[in-house]
Amino acid sequence: MQGNDGNQVSRRGVVKGIGGLAALSMSNATFETAQAAMDAPLQSDPHTADTYRSIVDAIVPRTPELENELGPEHVPGGLDVGLEKFLIWDFNHFQEIRAEMVTEKDSLLDLSDDSGPEMPRSMFETAVDTTGLGSDLNAILDLADVSLLELDLDGEKLEEYLTFGSLVQLEIGFADWDETAEGPAEFELVVETTNESVHRVLQNYPYASIFTLVFDLVAAEFLTLGKNEDPVSPNEEFPGGGTFTRLSREDRLRCLWTIVDGGAIDTLDDLLSPLVPDVGILKYVVMAVNGLHGFGYYTEWSGYGDTKTNTPNERKMQQDPADVQSRQQSGYPGPAPGYAADWRHAVPGGFKDPKAKNLNLPDDLTGDDVIDGIGGDT
Amino acid sequence: MNDPDVVVIGAGADGPAAASRLAREHGLDVLILEGGPWHGNEQWPEPHADAGGTVSTDPDDLDGKLLDDQFTHREADANDPTHGYLRVGPADHSRAPWFRNLHQNAFIWQVGAVGGTSLHYFANHPRAYPYAIDEQEHWPISYEDLVPYYQLNEEVTSTQQAPMTAKEEVFIEGATNAGYPLIDTKNVTETGWRPQANAVAVPGEETATDQPLDSNYEGSFSYDDGFRGDTLVGDHFQGSSTPIDAPVREKARKSANVSWVPRALDTNDDPEAGNVAIRPNAFVTNIETEEGLGTMEATGVTFRDSWSGSSQTVSADVVVLAAGCIESPRLWLNSGLPDDGWVGKGLTTHWFDWVVGVYDDDTVAEINPENEHMDPYVGQNSAVRFDKPGIGGLEDIGMSPGLVSYADYLFTEAGYSFDTPVDPDEPWDTRGYVVGKELKRRMSDYRQTKALLILTDDLPHQDNGVSLDNTFSDEHGPVPKVKYEPHPDDDAKRDELSRIAANIHREAGADHVHRCEWPPLLLHMQSTMRMGKVLDENAEAKNVSRLFVADHSALANGLGGPNPTNTGQALALRTADRIGDLYF
Repeated sequence: MQGNDGNQVSRRGVVKGIGGLAALSMSNATFETAQAAMDAPLQSDPHTADTYRSIVDAIVPRTPELENELGPEHVPGGLDVGLEKFLIWDFNHFQEIRAEMVTEKDSLLDLSDDSGPEMPRSMFETAVDTTGLGSDLNAILDLADVSLLELDLDGEKLEEYLTFGSLVQLEIGFADWDETAEGPAEFELVVETTNESVHRVLQNYPYASIFTLVFDLVAAEFLTLGKNEDPVSPNEEFPGGGTFTRLSREDRLRCLWTIVDGGAIDTLDDLLSPLVPDVGILKYVVMAVNGLHGFGYYTEWSGYGDTKTNTPNERKMQQDPADVQSRQQSGYPGPAPGYAADWRHAVPGGFKDPKAKNLNLPDDLTGDDVIDGIGGDT
Repeated sequence: MNDPDVVVIGAGADGPAAASRLAREHGLDVLILEGGPWHGNEQWPEPHADAGGTVSTDPDDLDGKLLDDQFTHREADANDPTHGYLRVGPADHSRAPWFRNLHQNAFIWQVGAVGGTSLHYFANHPRAYPYAIDEQEHWPISYEDLVPYYQLNEEVTSTQQAPMTAKEEVFIEGATNAGYPLIDTKNVTETGWRPQANAVAVPGEETATDQPLDSNYEGSFSYDDGFRGDTLVGDHFQGSSTPIDAPVREKARKSANVSWVPRALDTNDDPEAGNVAIRPNAFVTNIETEEGLGTMEATGVTFRDSWSGSSQTVSADVVVLAAGCIESPRLWLNSGLPDDGWVGKGLTTHWFDWVVGVYDDDTVAEINPENEHMDPYVGQNSAVRFDKPGIGGLEDIGMSPGLVSYADYLFTEAGYSFDTPVDPDEPWDTRGYVVGKELKRRMSDYRQTKALLILTDDLPHQDNGVSLDNTFSDEHGPVPKVKYEPHPDDDAKRDELSRIAANIHREAGADHVHRCEWPPLLLHMQSTMRMGKVLDENAEAKNVSRLFVADHSALANGLGGPNPTNTGQALALRTADRIGDLYF
């Protein structure tokens, strides 16, 4: 859990000293504690990091068993190049929220038709506090302001299975809120875990940490419905994670798939709504969780070394793109200015192309096989 | 340019073609406003870090070596939708992309910049199937109306037949063994295979050693050393600025920034022509209108500078909307223009799928005695195709490994392959996500793997398309909400094409065939502002005079399956002539 991104955060923490003071009211931490947290070389809290690590581990695992079959270069996996940082960075840079588009009106219901396109401030503020309520499920019920009786869920089992692991408290809010501000809003993210505090000020909505709570909730429902095929147990590789990380590799993926194709969003809508500004994007997020392994692992990304989670203009290739781990596994030599290769043209003399007035198209253009009754235009 | 005759909104594939024609043939002054950055222009030496200049009118501003520096050809650097240099978002790379709300397992793949999505295209320039224009009854114009404009566009974009390299030879083996004939016309009415008609200059037109470009060539690929034409690199999705050192207009692949943009700027050096100015980093937020003689009339636009945040209004006699299939309807709706139910609707996207073949070395060596591997990164990304008018088509594709891992194994609507049974009557071995040990095995075969892209003749349906989102807004107003669900008839055609693709792989000797069953990949977007519905036969808005649409959203359907760039540009050229004839 270190790297250049952490240094960047700490620089930002110093610059945002005033923001740090403002955060005291949110996190109930002393100034010294908050400042220390901001200066710590942490990219993200253990719950967030270990949840994404458990996904990387399921999609691009270490595979010692492939050594004999394919060679030693096929042993390391995504965790060996910190691929979880790629996922976290992308989700945290997923959506900019502009201060001038946010209104103090605290509910969508307050927004009449003529109030313009502003978004209520409350949409981007959330706080989960697991202390003092008996269970992690109660913390979510408290946040959603609903009781289990109002939900069509098996509360007993859900309560049994749901854990946010090391997470104790999570708060997201605007940093330095000012009604007259314009430009990209900055958000404060405070995460307290059993043995660490992470306090960051970020430009863009910090989706990465929030999605991991969603995955734990979906995992608890997945277990409640008995959709797991393998037994559940705390996973010592991901000690900071919650319910999601306790699933087997394949069950983690089956669980994610229930978001796309299994009604998990509909079932859990009331519980997820206070966490995510728009629950509907979660199907898109599952697409991204899978697809980002391609954009991260199998590209040259890991070759950026300790600059790989900087903003794009500040990334520097520190390794030949052909030499990064995944390129050794695929045999791709990296970009080149050209290739000496044999080639030919397939149509001697090129395509026939009469002038428009000489076009002599067949009378029957219906193609070989038109399916009856297709017209579109519904 | 303070007093243009025409404002064009968007410098993607089509807007610059229309602008060039308006200035060159009709003597009009045209201002193009583009929301994204401009690469390879001296006015913006660091387009992602610094605001740079304001506007460019001088063809000498174009700098091919600067483009080489900016387009690194690296995959994540180019293609990551969040941080890549080819994304939809503000030029300032410390900011997040522009958000589109998508409540689906689906992916939108566009580029916001001068050149638009053509910056990462494979330059395939087939024409529409004549059947799709003349017999599907969506179009108010005939195929023959488009042919002269196709011919003009093909000339300016150097469109000709693509070269066959190792991976294409494997495809031809499969298609021929399956009994399909070679098609040798651009006006396709029957089933068969053919080389792509593509907008990439012939490989090695001239070389540094005066020797032909083949496997024995040992010379340089630098323009400064005398190399001309295509260099057979398969990294066009990363922007492709080869031959290196070449001036922008001499790059082999004719994206709009290479073909129509320089041609549009050249009008400024021509005393007979009007002038064209292009302003990047200028996002149009409103179409200005006034009540005319019984009808609403466009009078100009208001745009926002994405670096400074300041807004400005420009008046013009005609406004041309060319912001693409998502932003054109979004801008229309955010401007409060009348909606009769079809604005933003009828989205078609060729309801893609992707069928992967893995081959063993001996099979490939038998087909290509000179080659040890297919090497999907050698040769053009897509150089050969299959056409079946009435159903759609297929394209043979080779790409670099990050894109391959995503497209082949990590993008599906079928679930994880370890849980996804395969019907024994179907011609593929596996389907769905491939992960874990199996993913690493398949990627270890990358150099012997290639895919066939399915392009379905999906038809416009009113349920699909773009509306204003009621949850999120950005600095340009409510964000677009996008939805695409295939109709069961579209599914049936896609299934048929996927079986044909698997059969071609089998007939070529593939060891393993995998069907991906992609969810919607919104890349070939068409028809959200359709002629015949939102637009009349001139591509002028039915409900707002002096407002025209010149991008792929004006296409009345998905052309039967062929890639839309050639037709989008041809129609934009025709629309420019209609504008000149009607209003000037």
